[in-house]
Amino acid sequence: MKEFDPITLEIIWSRLLNVTEEMWTTILRTAVSTIIASANDFGCEIMDKHGRSIAHAYRSMPVFNMTMPNVTKEILKKYPEKSIKPGDVFLTNDPWMCAGHLPDIAVVTPIFKGNMFVGFVGNIANTSDIGGSLDEKRVSDSYEEGIFFPICKLYDRGKPNELVFDMFKWNVRAPEMVLTDIEAQVAANEVGSKRVVALIEEYNLGDLSALSHQIRARSESAMRKAIEEIDDGVYTNEVYTDGMGIPLKIAVKITVVGDEISVDYTGSSPQVDRGGLNCTLIYSTGHTLYPLACLLTPGVPVNEGCFAPISTYAPEGTIINCTFPISVGSRLNTGWYIHGAIFGALAQVMPERIQAGNGLMSGLRTYGFHQDGRVFNAHLFSGGGRGAGSAGDGMGLNMFPSSASNVPVEVFELNSPVLVLSKEFITDSAGAGRYRGSPGLKVTIAKSSNYPGPLNIYFHPNRLSFPASGVFGGLSGKKTRVVLNGKVLSDDPKALTQGYLTLENDSDRLELHFPSGGGMGNPFERELSLLELDVRDGIVSRDAAMQIYGKKNA
Amino acid sequence: MINRTGEFKHILSVDIGGTFTDFSLLDLNTGKVSVNKVLTDADQPEEALISGASELLERIGVGYNELRLVVHSTTLATNAIIERKGAKTGLITTDGFRDILELRREQIYDMYDLQARYPEPLAPRYLRQGIRERTDSNGLILERVAEDDAVKLVDGLLDEGAEALAIALMHAYKNPANEEALKAVIENHFPDVTVSISSEVAPVINEYERTSTTIADCYIKPSVSKYLAGVRDRLSGLGYTGELLVMHSAGGVIGSDAASQRPVRLLESGPAAGALAASFYGTLLSKPDLVSIDMGGTTAKTCVIEGGKPAITNSIEVARIHRFKVGSGLPIMIPVLDLIEIGSGGGSIAWTDSLGLLKVGPHSAGAKPGPACYGLGGTIPTVTDANLLLGYLNPNYFLGGKMQLDINAARRAVSALAQTLGISEVQVAWGIYSVVTENMAASARLHIIGRNKDPRNYSIIAFGGAGPAHACDVARILGATEVIVPLAAGVTSALGCLTAPLSLEDVRSLPGSLADFNAEDVNNIFRNMEASGLKLMNQAGVPEEHVELVRSADMRLKGQIHEINVPVSPGELNPSNIEQIESDFHAIYQEFYSRRNLNIPIEVQNWRLLARGPEPIVNLREEAVTDNVDLTGALKGTRKAYFRDSGGYVDCPIYDRYKLTAGSRIEGPAIIEEQDSTAVMSPRDSVLIDRWLNLVFKIG
Repeated sequence: MKEFDPITLEIIWSRLLNVTEEMWTTILRTAVSTIIASANDFGCEIMDKHGRSIAHAYRSMPVFNMTMPNVTKEILKKYPEKSIKPGDVFLTNDPWMCAGHLPDIAVVTPIFKGNMFVGFVGNIANTSDIGGSLDEKRVSDSYEEGIFFPICKLYDRGKPNELVFDMFKWNVRAPEMVLTDIEAQVAANEVGSKRVVALIEEYNLGDLSALSHQIRARSESAMRKAIEEIDDGVYTNEVYTDGMGIPLKIAVKITVVGDEISVDYTGSSPQVDRGGLNCTLIYSTGHTLYPLACLLTPGVPVNEGCFAPISTYAPEGTIINCTFPISVGSRLNTGWYIHGAIFGALAQVMPERIQAGNGLMSGLRTYGFHQDGRVFNAHLFSGGGRGAGSAGDGMGLNMFPSSASNVPVEVFELNSPVLVLSKEFITDSAGAGRYRGSPGLKVTIAKSSNYPGPLNIYFHPNRLSFPASGVFGGLSGKKTRVVLNGKVLSDDPKALTQGYLTLENDSDRLELHFPSGGGMGNPFERELSLLELDVRDGIVSRDAAMQIYGKKNA
Repeated sequence: MINRTGEFKHILSVDIGGTFTDFSLLDLNTGKVSVNKVLTDADQPEEALISGASELLERIGVGYNELRLVVHSTTLATNAIIERKGAKTGLITTDGFRDILELRREQIYDMYDLQARYPEPLAPRYLRQGIRERTDSNGLILERVAEDDAVKLVDGLLDEGAEALAIALMHAYKNPANEEALKAVIENHFPDVTVSISSEVAPVINEYERTSTTIADCYIKPSVSKYLAGVRDRLSGLGYTGELLVMHSAGGVIGSDAASQRPVRLLESGPAAGALAASFYGTLLSKPDLVSIDMGGTTAKTCVIEGGKPAITNSIEVARIHRFKVGSGLPIMIPVLDLIEIGSGGGSIAWTDSLGLLKVGPHSAGAKPGPACYGLGGTIPTVTDANLLLGYLNPNYFLGGKMQLDINAARRAVSALAQTLGISEVQVAWGIYSVVTENMAASARLHIIGRNKDPRNYSIIAFGGAGPAHACDVARILGATEVIVPLAAGVTSALGCLTAPLSLEDVRSLPGSLADFNAEDVNNIFRNMEASGLKLMNQAGVPEEHVELVRSADMRLKGQIHEINVPVSPGELNPSNIEQIESDFHAIYQEFYSRRNLNIPIEVQNWRLLARGPEPIVNLREEAVTDNVDLTGALKGTRKAYFRDSGGYVDCPIYDRYKLTAGSRIEGPAIIEEQDSTAVMSPRDSVLIDRWLNLVFKIG
């Protein structure tokens, strides 16, 4: 097998990563849905002939790390290498192969150099609609969540598969938007194929096999080296999520032996019928590998080699490894808690690297019709406060563990009949500590006075019952708080499982307090100068400075 | 006022960069350009400006009173933000939104770095206050600003020490009334306070980006106005009678008064000059489609020139805390030349990552200690060290011999890396050269392809101190066949200033579907922008009949975030214009993306106006071209230089650029030295010296 020197490998590998970047940019610029174009909920990948991932677009949604290679290996099972032809494009949204819920659509294209099959390019994007129920919390099984495409050919030797296009046309809302986005995915793969072929020709590589081997081997050995530096042992943790008003448990046991890690979720809650809160194993695996990559090999471009020394297990029939046809639409309300479970478990052995609990973002959405019949359908995401780290306070408010951005208030107001009256930090919300978490946000929403009817606000909060935890003596953050016209609805988590709230009158006020991050270390040890800035800026009140931080003169 | 006639035969341009201040003096009669380069004085930039200018003028024998024009580009505005040396600035927002500036877009810019921090906001929270008032998304005022509230709030901010106040209220891009009212109150009660309002600075939708732009403007306004006034005074004290013009980020110049009023426009003043120089050469050489590569000590900047004009974009990110990570800086919504900048320069540091691969940059050894071969204490290998070891640089002729390079220091620095990687020193040096060249080619390729163009169809123009050494190989990687290296390639940017027309861009957001196009609103917008553009151009000395007004609109398919700029016809618009705008959009969309567009509605986001004066006529001196030039006079000797195509070191001829005459032809390998830069060509390449003494390489 061809060996590359460290310079040639650097150059070819960088070139490959640039190809994923080009694919990513193609989707970004040509997709038309808010969720893809604006919130960037997609990812791109290059794989070898066996579906093994070798380059992953840097800005991809991290949970898509192992999704693409998994889907591609499944494609190879159904369509063996010999049956794959130039011009074929595969598509599936199977949550058990793909990214855990139906809106995530994978598009995979085999790369041909002339008539020779050399590898795959693929991408996954969260489509704006996949049919099914509008109220994700009401569903009781997968069938209600939308249309399910098993692995199929979207194009067969360049010829569109009309059945698939028609299925989209008649089963999703706004099919033109959905199909334009899928076309953006197909175009990204075309760009990727072309560039990979050019690279193979320039360096006379034959196919991607030798390159794949060396990229994966180097990455794997970097990961093994990082794991070796952790003390061997068994590290456990348990965290709880809101569930449908009844808490669900994520139990994690991380075993470090030599240069390998196994992660076991035995003991986690059984899967639940209603509400789509269940994670498929591939999705849980993605959320297991992502925080481990952050902790262990933050400088290594993600590929399959990084994850070879890590295994993930969860018993079938749990919220971490659910079985068809259970509902999965809101799986992020479970999956996003996995990071906290892992950081907590590894706190004792990696105190310098882990983070205190994160506040987690929540999305809200308006949907309805203007008087003239035009539909409105707009999102406003609000970030959660990040947890503190060992070197400083929580890193602002953001969408961790998602790479999405918010939607500007001005854009939200332009696109739906609402008035946002505030979006600002809540004093004393930040989880206290030597380093504190980021504060939570208060968002106040009213109905626009020129909208006559009642307005539904669809809202799927995180952290209603369990705040982001503090570590090493740091205090936890604040939970989500939902107040409608002065009435605190969040005190009874079951009251919020209907999936939406209604603003009847112009004077109605919905006040949402989004969760803050946890603190790290004893608050009494916070540097006085930092505390003084917090008090000056109104992040910490004078009372709290005295009572929680124990400072008399702040 | 600009002196347009008479005895004033020279134009002086000054480009202040991070390390060097470059000067170029154009003799309008002969087309001869004279240059000078001095070290930048970071504390008192005007001192280096005056001393370097005087030096050059004395040398040529021209008095300040004979200058028709002084044009200036500077990184001063950018540095004030990077180094946080601006005014103590307060921010007034709509009540409930004081944290918009700190919340940013709530997006993580490096998903794998758990410690990825954001830059500190330009105003800390205690200097950010909300005022009761509200405008809705239709521009309807729901609540007006109460004067008492405003006075009390401003009093409070001034008590806290604020020297300048930025104002950014919700939906002010749609209706500026509340911002204007608040500004009037401040001007009445606190006339000494500097104010910037978002509806004037960046009237575009998206509260975070608009606020960020407005406060940046306000933050640098006191220091920029003071600096420009100082330069003006010094120049007129020396006898200069003309106006001081300043390069702005969109590739035009404005008077120093206008620049002081809206200093945020100057943020990319320096790099813009380089791109303009590139388009000047493109026009001169009848090559309207070019890619410019400007490689200096710390970064390389790439710009695509199409149809003789650099591409323009609507926003830029400045003061990134992770220099090359998108999202780690402050977004600024101004029209700006579409440049891509990466951490590849002569000072870029070579290192190995956790995978055992050779990396170059983005960190730079800077000017101090600089590359190991500078002998100033640096021990880490850089691109310059590698180029010295490969024989590309002359240790006795760096900066024209002003600086002696230490080849042994370079070898020591590289040898440590060679041991880590388990390869020879030469392989490492070649590796550093190749990786940095590849990095530049990759960024250029992404930039060109991002515009849906084929890099093979472009000529490359390379300048900056380090550009000409790498340009031929960058071209080879891109598949381009021609590289142009202008004379005085080390100071090319300064020439760009000379070629810039007076220009101003204005913008108004009126987001909505093209189908709902309201001709009256749009006509109003254009009327206002045109009146103010003509007024400002007139103040700068351009009579109305010489002002060109160019209209355009930022459009996209509903749901997209990336906009494309579509020309809009002049005159009164009426609903029948929609069809034309729509078909223009489709044509440009097709060109950009090569994709058919399903039936998605079109949205207009912003309406833009460019007011532009005539382009200055710059005629470079032309030399007589002779065939079969004897090169012996220009040959300085030979040096061992490494070329992969030759399989190692070969005796490479070295030429003195100043002695190469028009029509000279050289087959590679060869190295051509001038004071501020060195051009390198491999055995596959050849070069022709054209009548303006540019090096025109043919890439094999």
